[in-house]
Amino acid sequence: MAASGNARKLSEAITGYLFISPWLILFIIFSLISLGYAVYLSFTSYNLLKPPQFIGLESYRRVLEEDLFLQKALPNTFKYVLIVVPIQTILSLVLAFAMDQKLRFRRFFRTVFYLPSVTSSVVISLIFIWIFAPQGIFNQIMGLSVNWLDDPRTAFYVIMGMNIFTTSGTLMLIFLAGLQDISPSIYEAAQIDGANGVQQFFYITIPMLRPVIFFVVTVGVIGCFQVFDQIYVMTAGGPLDSTTTITYLIYKWAFRDTTIKMGQASALAVILTLIILGVTILQRRIIEGSGSSAER
Amino acid sequence: MKSLFKLLSALLVAAFVLTACGTPATPEKVVETVKETVTVKQTEIVKVEVPAEKTVVRLSGWASSPSETALLESLLYKFSVENPDILVKYEPITGDYKQALLTSIAGGVEPDIYYVDIFWWLELATNDALLPLDDLMAASGVKKDEFIPSLVEAFTYNGKLYGIAKDFNTLGMFYNKDLFDKAGLAYPTDDWTWTELKDAAKKLTDLSDPNKPVYGFCTPPDPGRFPAFVFQNGGTVMTPDFKDTTLDSEAAVGAAEFYTSFRAEGIGALPSDLGEGWQGTLFGKGQCAMVYEGGWLIPYLRDQFPGTKYGVVMPPAGPKGEGNLIFTVAWGISANTKNPEAAWKVVQFLTSEASQKTVLESGFALPSRKSLQNSDYLKNNPNSAAIFNGSFNGAQPFFWGAVGSDVNDQMGKALERVFKENQPVAEAMKQAAEAIRKALK
Repeated sequence: MAASGNARKLSEAITGYLFISPWLILFIIFSLISLGYAVYLSFTSYNLLKPPQFIGLESYRRVLEEDLFLQKALPNTFKYVLIVVPIQTILSLVLAFAMDQKLRFRRFFRTVFYLPSVTSSVVISLIFIWIFAPQGIFNQIMGLSVNWLDDPRTAFYVIMGMNIFTTSGTLMLIFLAGLQDISPSIYEAAQIDGANGVQQFFYITIPMLRPVIFFVVTVGVIGCFQVFDQIYVMTAGGPLDSTTTITYLIYKWAFRDTTIKMGQASALAVILTLIILGVTILQRRIIEGSGSSAER
Repeated sequence: MKSLFKLLSALLVAAFVLTACGTPATPEKVVETVKETVTVKQTEIVKVEVPAEKTVVRLSGWASSPSETALLESLLYKFSVENPDILVKYEPITGDYKQALLTSIAGGVEPDIYYVDIFWWLELATNDALLPLDDLMAASGVKKDEFIPSLVEAFTYNGKLYGIAKDFNTLGMFYNKDLFDKAGLAYPTDDWTWTELKDAAKKLTDLSDPNKPVYGFCTPPDPGRFPAFVFQNGGTVMTPDFKDTTLDSEAAVGAAEFYTSFRAEGIGALPSDLGEGWQGTLFGKGQCAMVYEGGWLIPYLRDQFPGTKYGVVMPPAGPKGEGNLIFTVAWGISANTKNPEAAWKVVQFLTSEASQKTVLESGFALPSRKSLQNSDYLKNNPNSAAIFNGSFNGAQPFFWGAVGSDVNDQMGKALERVFKENQPVAEAMKQAAEAIRKALK
């Protein structure tokens, strides 16, 4: 009896693994092995041409002594996260709240707001390059002559704005799903108790949305820490390193420099992973009470 | 009956789609004479089965323009006719070439023959990724002195030659004839100096139309332009052994002061000031009256701005004489190739006098063979000749050693800081030099 139960369990497990195998195999080859190899490379000196040489923690020491990392990439990345995440979260929540009302044309607006999210980030980047060119439409409308993407004071903010513009649509959809999950009976009960719209929003909607907010913030933070393609396309880390982020610096060391520093780049990638892990744990502590539902 | 009809129409659609996909893509912008051969060659590659006894040699480079790719393909077709036992597989790399090449070397699947840029070839040679060509050259009777000496020197390491220069470029001073006529100025000559350059820039600048300001001389914060001024001022970028930088020397600082003075005085601009990434476009539009560019600007103007009337002279001399940069790309052979002889045969063919003549006459690049210096083509094309002759006038290779990309970065940033943050020139150059020294450690 017990034996046949075990056999059934085993066959069920095999079936399960078979079902996920297409993903699992790809994951193992392209993610797990590459990740493990990157961690290994972070303890080596490797220029792609000669086999990696084990040098222990030397690469990490070099990363932590690099001005470009300490003075540019690290502060830039944190600045990016601290500005983009709150704005995109609040904006998408407000948008979702508006879309949840019985507005006319809301289906149309929903599509419009979501559209940037389904467009390739490279395409959006190119569009923004043209919009913010010195003779671009933004300057023409505002009557300004600022060279947005070539000025160290403004370039990073254009990229931030673009990221908020592209991701808010997706986050809005997630919030919208969360909003529609909240049972109308709770609002009805609140109304009977005399709560007004603002009170309902702050005392019902926000607490009920907490797991969703945790999800949106976490995804947002991770995404922002990893911002790369927009910077690669729009500014290549410039002007004057004002848009160099950690991921761009990893790319620069790994592929752009005359002498390739794959070990140092891998070490920085590991450091970035640890930063993200740390921040995510911290966030979870802060948004307590979300508990198990945060796992999704 | 109805379903049969449906099936037939589905088949018809499928057949149509398949034919559409099956047509080999022909590059769009092809020089007319080259077009025919290219088409023939491509269809053959697609349809002919590779006989087992053929030696396969893989060849790779970046694809800078469809017309240049077509030119190379037509040469390779000629080679395949002359050498039926060798099949050259051309695998152009679009996008980041160096990145793709290095990863393929790391993976042990690099092509047998590939482009090596003067800027980073030494990294490959010192790591034993490139094959020294001396023995192969000796065996086939090709002599080093058939090529321009500075180009042989440029790809020599420890007395061995690691690449045959495919072509080269120097900087020329391009000037817009219409704008000179409008300002009533005589065209520049090869005898110009910094003084004439500055004077002309002043007279050529015309900011009366705010939508289309015209600047006399454009000065991008570009490490591929600025060093020419350093050389003209008697300076260098690096010490001869590439162990230290000389960017904070008096000569380099003086050059930077001169270079940045144009914009400061309102007679020069950065391409980004005018909303472009490259001054070549602004030259074509007539917004930069004079620019330092390489021979690549010639086909660009022909394609994009065919109406522009322009001339090219050698860069004006500075207080310490002539100075210029040499940009060059060589054919290198992988140290891991299984068929070094076949690969060499291909390189030998591509750098032969006949092939180089075809390249020269196409107008894309200047050949590396001495014998072509007195060719009719250069006599009839003074603009190309100015770029060619630049290689004799104090020209030095665009190469700064193992931390070359850092040197370039820092040079560009120093200029940017002066241009955009008004940092004093000497301070900016000192900061750059210190950052390079840190990278050299």
